[in-house]
Amino acid sequence: MIHLSAFVFYIGALVPWIYLLVRGPRGHSALIASGLTAVAVALHAMALLDFWLTYGELPLGGLGAALSSLSFVGGLALVAMLPLKEVARIALGLLPFVLLLQGSALILGIEPTPLDLDFQGAGFVLHVGLAFLGLQGLAIASAAGLLYLIQHHELKVKRLGRVFRFIPALATLERVGRIGLSVGFVALSLALVLGWAWTVQNRGSLEIDDPKVVWAVLSWVVFLGIFATRRSRGTNEYRSALAAVIGFGIVIGTYLALRITAGGTGLFL
Amino acid sequence: MSLPLTVVGVSHETAPVEVREQLAYGPTEATEALVHLREREGVEEAILLSTCNRTEVYLYPSGDRNATELIGRLFAKRSTKIEGDLSGYLFEKGGETAVRHLFRVTAGLDAMVTGEAEIQGQVRDAYQLAAKLPVAPPLVGPVLGRLFETALSAGGRVRSQTSIGEGAASVASVAVELAGKIFGSLHGKRVLILGAGITGELIVEALSREGVQSVAVANRTYDRAVSLARKHHGQAVPFDRIADVLSTVDIVLSSTAAPHPVLTRAILRDSFVETRKHPLLIIDVAIPRDVDPSVGDEPEVFLYNVDDLRSIVEEHVHLRQDAVPEADRIIQSHSDEFSAWYASLEVVPVIQSMRASAEEQRRAELERLFGSLRGLSPEERARIEEFSRRLQNKLLHDPTTRLRKGMADGAGPELVDAVRFLYGIEAGGAIEADSAEDSSEDGDETADHQEKESER
Repeated sequence: MIHLSAFVFYIGALVPWIYLLVRGPRGHSALIASGLTAVAVALHAMALLDFWLTYGELPLGGLGAALSSLSFVGGLALVAMLPLKEVARIALGLLPFVLLLQGSALILGIEPTPLDLDFQGAGFVLHVGLAFLGLQGLAIASAAGLLYLIQHHELKVKRLGRVFRFIPALATLERVGRIGLSVGFVALSLALVLGWAWTVQNRGSLEIDDPKVVWAVLSWVVFLGIFATRRSRGTNEYRSALAAVIGFGIVIGTYLALRITAGGTGLFL
Repeated sequence: MSLPLTVVGVSHETAPVEVREQLAYGPTEATEALVHLREREGVEEAILLSTCNRTEVYLYPSGDRNATELIGRLFAKRSTKIEGDLSGYLFEKGGETAVRHLFRVTAGLDAMVTGEAEIQGQVRDAYQLAAKLPVAPPLVGPVLGRLFETALSAGGRVRSQTSIGEGAASVASVAVELAGKIFGSLHGKRVLILGAGITGELIVEALSREGVQSVAVANRTYDRAVSLARKHHGQAVPFDRIADVLSTVDIVLSSTAAPHPVLTRAILRDSFVETRKHPLLIIDVAIPRDVDPSVGDEPEVFLYNVDDLRSIVEEHVHLRQDAVPEADRIIQSHSDEFSAWYASLEVVPVIQSMRASAEEQRRAELERLFGSLRGLSPEERARIEEFSRRLQNKLLHDPTTRLRKGMADGAGPELVDAVRFLYGIEAGGAIEADSAEDSSEDGDETADHQEKESER
């Protein structure tokens, strides 16, 4: 029920953000948008805490629970951006992703995992937490990249309307994207190392045929690809924004494809 | 109750710039003018507002004298160079028209460029200058104080709830807005100026105000480049070395008189295509154009010519104009609110007289009662006194509330006269509005509180 309330508040938060985009800053609309976003994330935190207290396990194992936790990391990123005035508007790019994850989690059912988890404890929490942070870093870079592309287009077609005024400056978006990518890459790299260290130690192999591992490695390669684009010669800001959007699309598309065709243990993938 | 408020002045609609500039008052001159007005008999409250588009004086009460003549004489002291009769340039507005005028001015509806933001601060400054002036009695009393506070509140509401201030409305401010949306902060950004056109200069001045620090100037005549560079604390560049500088700048402002493009895609590619990592904003205000249009096809180059900037300005002006009816509705509601407040002022002395008369009768009756009931204990006397006070407040609460509401709804002086007749109150006895209102409201609160107590 609290999960559903959080979802409703996320939708509620999206409405004033869209209103801000369409109508421009009127009255207290920005404050309402930020307030609703913060309430949604607070409810989400309560829901995950309730899950932990009820089932005695962190919501990281079952698919629905894991998606909800991933969504929550996105919510935390949103809350971190809210006080940053213009940067907070990236919420409009990130909030739909958070909503999609939480909606999917609700449809799948946020239940404890029926499996015995042999990789548990603080190491498991750290591994999953870092992996989620890595993905959310990419999501933030992608949201900032998407807004960059839209703003770039508005500037090119010389349309200085509401969309132009709503979206932050190109330099701001570039900076947020760079921070998202850097934090995300470091977090995902550490998550991979931690996971592999445990697997090699306890299972004696890298288990590279596990869809989850395939997906994680591919995500890491996507990060590398985006960094390569950023460092390439020529007009790199536009191309790195494009690369972040495409890279994130590849990561999500691959996840869905693997989930449908090669479902693994039923944990995250 | 008509409002004896008058505004007299000149504005961009009534006087040309040659007249307005003569009548522009800086803070020192405005102070002198206000002191002069303080010394004039009959002027209780006055505020002088002076901007580049207007100079106007708000007077309360306007009384029977000719306000235009009074202010005309004040203005005449500063306008010795104006030929002919100054009164031909003056406008005068009174009562609620003057109220709405101030609200429209503060909201930027009466500006040369609709929605201009600076005026809000200028109105606040004018109000504070008059309010802080060390004269006795103060030049800003309850009426003009309330009027200007309401005007600032109305202006703020118009700005936040409508699109009146959206979008830049001049070529220079569009250029600044564009640069801001590309680079975020303009601190430390580098500008290359090509040529020495006036529009280009205006733009670079606007950019400098936003923090642009480094300016390079290239001109066909090198001496002119040096002179311009000195003016903007920049560096002169020989015209044939533009390509060398292009790779290091963020913004290019071009306004040469060259008959052909001076900046082509080939020059641009030679200069930065292999090394440039950040966007480049090029503003070409020259006619014929200095920058080949194909330069705008480069992915990180944003090219705007003078027609682009003008069409953006026009679009923004239309957007602002569309917001005027909504802004007028907000202004009307604040104007009605002010009028209702002003109308309630007349009723304050009447309410006070009603309460004083009732209190006198209550005390007299109590004394008579206590005189006939000599055996009462102090507690019993206190309870009777408390009862009489509650009864009096209860009986007066409804009439005073309805009286205030009636005046706010525009019932007019007939209502006040009727109450005076019914309660036997003589006319006059006006007191200072704020304190009068406060004290009467305290009375109402006491009555409400006591009513609640008695219901328990």
